[in-house]
Formats: sequence, structure tokens, C-alpha cells
Amino acid sequence: MTLRLSAVTYRYAGAHRDALAGVDLELPAGSVLGVVGANESGKSTLCLVASGLAPVVVGGRISGSVTIDGRETVEMRPHELAQRCGILFQNPQAQLSGTASTVFEELAFGPRNLGLPLGTVIERIEASLETLGIAGLADRDPDRLSGGQAQLVALAAILALGPDILILDEPTSQLDPQGTRLVGEALRRLARENRTAILVVEHKTALLDQLADRVVVIDQGRLVREGPSAEVLADPALIELGVEPPPRVRVRSAVTAAGLRTPGEADRLLAELAR
Amino acid sequence: MAWLSRQFSTRVIVLIPIAIAINIVLGYTVQTILKLPIYLDSIGTILVGVLAGPIAGALTGILSNLIWQYAPVIGGGTIGPFAITAGVIGFLAGIWGQLGVYRSRPASGTQLMAFAGIAAVIVVALVVPILGNPAYTNPDIGGYPDWVYTAAVVIAIAAAIAVAAFIYIRRDLAGFWVAIAGVVTGVVAAVISAPISAIAFGGVTGSGTDLLVAAMRQGGSDVLQASLGQGLFSDPIDKTITSFVVFIVLGGLSGRLLARFPLGERLVRNRAA
Amino acid sequence: MPGSRWASASSGTVRPDEPADPSVADQGRAAGRLPAYVLRIPAGPYRALNPYTKFVIALSSALVAFGVRGWTGPLSVLALTAVIAVAAGVARSLRRFVLGTVPIVASILVVNAFLYPGATDVLFTIGPFAATGTGVTVALQATLRVVAFALSVAVFSLTTATDDFLADLEHRGTGRRLTFVVGSAIRTIPAMGSRAVEIVEAQRARGLDTEGSIRRRLRGIVPLAGPMVFGSLAEVEERTIALEARAFSAPVRRTVMRVLPDGSGQRAVRWLVGLGSIGAVAASIAGRFPLP
Repeated sequence: MTLRLSAVTYRYAGAHRDALAGVDLELPAGSVLGVVGANESGKSTLCLVASGLAPVVVGGRISGSVTIDGRETVEMRPHELAQRCGILFQNPQAQLSGTASTVFEELAFGPRNLGLPLGTVIERIEASLETLGIAGLADRDPDRLSGGQAQLVALAAILALGPDILILDEPTSQLDPQGTRLVGEALRRLARENRTAILVVEHKTALLDQLADRVVVIDQGRLVREGPSAEVLADPALIELGVEPPPRVRVRSAVTAAGLRTPGEADRLLAELAR
Repeated sequence: MAWLSRQFSTRVIVLIPIAIAINIVLGYTVQTILKLPIYLDSIGTILVGVLAGPIAGALTGILSNLIWQYAPVIGGGTIGPFAITAGVIGFLAGIWGQLGVYRSRPASGTQLMAFAGIAAVIVVALVVPILGNPAYTNPDIGGYPDWVYTAAVVIAIAAAIAVAAFIYIRRDLAGFWVAIAGVVTGVVAAVISAPISAIAFGGVTGSGTDLLVAAMRQGGSDVLQASLGQGLFSDPIDKTITSFVVFIVLGGLSGRLLARFPLGERLVRNRAA
Repeated sequence: MPGSRWASASSGTVRPDEPADPSVADQGRAAGRLPAYVLRIPAGPYRALNPYTKFVIALSSALVAFGVRGWTGPLSVLALTAVIAVAAGVARSLRRFVLGTVPIVASILVVNAFLYPGATDVLFTIGPFAATGTGVTVALQATLRVVAFALSVAVFSLTTATDDFLADLEHRGTGRRLTFVVGSAIRTIPAMGSRAVEIVEAQRARGLDTEGSIRRRLRGIVPLAGPMVFGSLAEVEERTIALEARAFSAPVRRTVMRVLPDGSGQRAVRWLVGLGSIGAVAASIAGRFPLP
């Protein structure tokens, strides 16, 4: 399944400026696209628009087209969107249904809403638990989980709906390094094995360095850079655009700037240090 | 039942339980922590009514009372039967919402002073018949004891001043309409609660104003009349204060947020862009 | 979208847009795979009854307590409630609910015993106040009614987990929306309570007066209600998006997961108790109820 945005301009209801302007984006199956940008640059809006939630649920005006496999998202109902394109936000507690006593039941919420046969519901739950490695949390109370655990449960809950496209808005912001690693690995697996198309907004450029195939930089609602992740993340203009480059790039530029090595040698040195 | 639930968008379905929780928690907090003789436990109900319409408001009120009775995590031992009153309050709030009562109406100068003045005059005018009422002036005729009428007049004058000041200081005519909405809601609530209280609870409600009931009975009122008197004293005040709190709070919310609710549009029409 | 097919994470292809039509046998087989901590079949005397049965009993009790005037109605409800409470082992927990009725009971007793309008059969006097026989009777009956009502609801609440009640209602056809509203409201109350406490503390640090004059305390309302409502409404947006992202507004019948045991015996009891209580109330209103 391919997600495509063509010349998308979006404005929230009652706002005076466009939140997104002339955005062109393509997200083929199995690829991971990283999105970076300063605060208030439109990253979250991009997530809402790409997933179809804006304008369908959130209101607002959109021009241009957002299509999933050629079908316009504005023509789909929210439950149809949910099965094709899952979205995950920063705050895990706000994404849980707030009605489940156990993680198992929380994961059942989505599939049950779709009226799937109970056997299928259970299969989906077990699969999601396994994909994220949280089978041990199945009997826990969702309200009593740590931030990281709750975020994994929220992600599992989205996966249970079986979307082929995943959009994540700073999914690891509340996670510790281990949680971040778990989520990163799960996303990589989903992209590679399930051919899930993934769009992930992150401040942690180090994560994107490892995870994303391509990266776009967004500034005041416009995409100002786009390309393979290694290239974009090494772009010296990143800092001016409000994005902190990954450690690899920072060390490299510091080492090169100090005149100690040429960029090529700096890269080799870093590769050795990282081994 | 299924048709009914299809009327509500997901946003309203999310709002209602939050409003119910606000009703219960705020009602409890205001009474025990601020120790005020008002309830404020309809604030969520009125909020939902104004934002989402009469049926949503009524549902919020009814469910708040039933849930508070069934799962009394904090207080609320006998509030269940008043679910009917709460439902009506929510329904009325929805009507006010549709009429745009809570919409800001900025004004200045003479129009402002005129409305403030009219508000004060109306309130005072409402109590003039009381002064001329034979039940008040003629000691041989029954009804409420004298001091009730005097108290009503005093409260009315204080309220008139408060409402007029509110309109004038905020330069907003909405205060006028909010006050009317609050008083009407309060009166209707009192009229509906009185028989419930009389039938179910022997004419009392368990709140501090029961002393009022006692005093009125001493003056000769029967059970229903005493309940009504108590209600007409506390409910209009409580509902008017609640309405003003809702108005102030709604005024502080962004137009973007409000516009997403079914009746939100009617609240933001006059706002400066 | 007819014919659309997509792969789930592991279990082959599913057509999500077709309406679900699980056979009863399917449902039973699948339900067997549900872990025990999800099924949570209640056990114990009275608790093991189907939630709907317990609900009908509580509702009928409340109806009889208020609707059958005189002594028999409230007393029989109290007796039934006591028996159930002891059988289910919740008698001790009822104390909290009894305490909850004390303010109103005190009012009822005092106001009605001493100030019943038009009563002249004085029993005794305390100072300037005279207690009348009519008044005392009314007071006691009203007290019994209130306590009977409160305790029958309390017993229902103590012997029935909210989740069980809601799951059963949904099984019987209540839409997902009502179930969500009630379930979410009950779960939100504690969180809202903590938020209120935080707000009061924060405002107190800013000078909010909770002990001063009435005027000062009145001014405390908006600083308390304001943040509470603002915070809640901001949450509404997030939660709406989250629910829609989980297909909450799908126009199909939601899959039933937890089914609580029921039986024809319980069904008979429900009909009996329900109709019986309606009949008793009708008789009482028509003035034909035979007992005092």
C-alpha cells in the first residue's frame, strides 16, 4: 500500500495561516520515512493529514490530494482509514481507550469495534503482543503501566487493526533507551517483514539514522529538504532549521572542523569506534 | 437506543463522560473544600447542553446522577432520584445553546448601560409583586412566613446589582441572557425537584438548606410548598452561578476548539478574529 | 470497499468491511481461548448471578421502596437487602453507604417529626418544638424508604463489577456508545478527583482562600472550575482522535467478547421480581395494597 500526498495545503478550522503548504510526499510499502523539523513546524499536522484524520475528524480545509493506493482519504470514513493507516502519538495515556481492565482487552478494543469474529480478534491480539514483545503485559492494568510500556501497548493496539501504513508522531519521546530500542526494532521488522510503510516524526535523529531510508525536513509547513537519510541528516543546514543532527554527524563535523581528519577518514574512525 | 446513539458524534461521546466526572468531582469539592452552600454539580451537564444540544445535555444530567448513586466513590448517597431534574437542566441548557445564549455580545456606551440598567430593573421588578402580595402584607393569610419574602427581596436586589455590574464591567450583553437562562433553569429545577423531594425524601434534600424547609414549615407551609420554597431559594442561585461559571469558562476557550462541537459555532460568531 | 483484502500481522487475509456473522459455535470455541483474567467469571453466592438479574432486583427494590407507601414496602426491601448482603458477604461494607444516608436521614427525622404541617397529635415536646405522632410516622417511613433504597443500590454496586455489568448490557444490545460513556465516566472520576486536589493545592499556593468569608470562597470557584474544564476539554480532542483511530465509529455490531453466565431460572426470577414490583406499586397507588 502506498501513501501519496500531492500538493497538499491544509489549514485548521478558524486558523489564519496554512499549517501545511504544497507538500508532496510518497511513502511506498516497506519504506521508512523520517520527518524532522523545529517545534511548531507542522510535523504533527503532517501526521494528522497523512493519516486522513485531518480533515475527516479534526475539521479544517485541505487542497491537493492524499491518497492510499489511489483512493482519496477524504472519501473514507474514520474506521476505514483506521484499518489502512494507523497513527500513534506522543502521549500514551491519551491514546488508550480508558475502558479496559487489562492490556488484552485494550488491544481487543479496535478489532472488536470492527465486528471481527472473536477468533480473529484473539489472533490479532496475540500477534500484536508478540511483534512488540509485550506478551508479559497482557494481564496488566493499562492505567498502571509505565510511560514506555503504555506506549508499546498503544502501538500494539494500533497494529491489531492491521494497517499497512503506520504514522508515528514522536513515538519514543517518553521512552527510556531500552524502550526506544524496542520500538525501533519493531518498526524495522514491520517495514522489512510485513512491508508496512512507515512515516515517523522524531527528534531523536540518531534513531532515524538507523531506521529511516529517507528523511524530509519540514519548516513552516513546507518540505525544505528531502533525500536519503544519510544525506539529509548530514546536511549542515539542519541546525538552522531547528533540528539537531545525529551524534555520528556531530562528531564527524566536530572532528573535521578541528582539522584532524578529512570527512572520509572521520567516517572510518567513527565506524571503528562504533564497532 | 441505537438511533439515539447514532445522533452523537464521537467527540460528544468523549465529552459526556468527562462532563459527568466534572459534575461529580466539582460538586463534591465545592461542598466539602470550599464549603459553600451551592452545588455546582450541574456544571458539566450545562456545558454539554450548550456545546452539544438538548438530548446530549439531558443524557449527561441523568447519567451523572445515576452513576453517582451507583458508584459513589465520593459521597452522593441519595442523589439518584433527582436524575429527572438533572435531565431537564441538561435539556434546557441545550435549548439555551441553540439560542446562542452564551455567545459573547460585546457592546459599549449607551447600549451597555441600557442593558445593565434593564437587568437590574427586571430583577427588582420581579419582586415588586411579592411586596404587594397579600400573603406578605396580610397576617391572616397563610403562605410562607414573612421573613421569606423579605429575604427574597434582599437577595433579588443583591443579584440585580451583581448581574448589572457583570454586564457593565465586562462590556458584554451576554451576561443579561446568561442570568435569565440561569434563573429560568433554577426555577424549573426547583419546581421539578419539589415533588421528588416530597415523595421520596419527606420533603428534605440532605443539604444545609433543609433548615430553610424547617423554618418554612414552622410558618405553616405544607410539605410540598416547603420543598418548593427551599428549591426556589437555592436552585436559581446555584444554577445562575453555575451558568455564569460556564459562560466565563467558555469565553476562555479557543474558537478552534469550540467550533468542533455541534453547537460550538453559535458560541464564536461574534468573536474578534 | 467491496473485495478489498489486506494482510494482518500474522493470520492471513481478512475482509474487514464485510459484516461479522460469527456462528454461535464459533463464538463458543473462540471464547475458550480467552485467558481467565479476561473472562473473569464471578463466583460466590449472589455475586455469581448474572449482572442483569442483580440489576433487576436492585431496580425493583428501589421501586418498591419508594412506590409502595406504608411500612411493608421499605421493610421488605430492607429485609431482602439484608439477606442478600449477608449471603454475599458484603454486610460490613454496607456501613459506608449507611453513613452516606445519615445527613438526609437526620434532616428527615427532625424536620418531619417536629414540623409536620397540620399534625396535632403531640407525643412529646423538646423546648418549643412538639413531636407529633403523624410526623414521627412519616419521618420513620421516609427514613426506611431512603435507607432501603440506598442499601439496595449499594448491594448491587458491591456485588457487581462495573465491567461485568457493562459487558452484559452490551451483550444484550446496548450500543458501544452508551457502554463507553458509562465505563469511561466511572474510570475518569478518580483521575478527575486527583486533578481537583492538585488544582486546589496550586491555587492555595497562589492565595486561594478556602477558609475565609463566603465572598472570598465564592471567588474560589472560577480558579477551581476553570483549570478543570480547560484541561478536560483539551483532553477531549486527543481522546476523540484516539477513538476514531481505533475504528470506534464503525457502523457494525461490536464483537462480543465476555459473556456472563445466565439461565432460564434467572430469567424467570427477573420476570417475577420485575412484574411483582410493578404490580405492588400499582396496587399501592390505587390504594389497594393490602398490607400496612
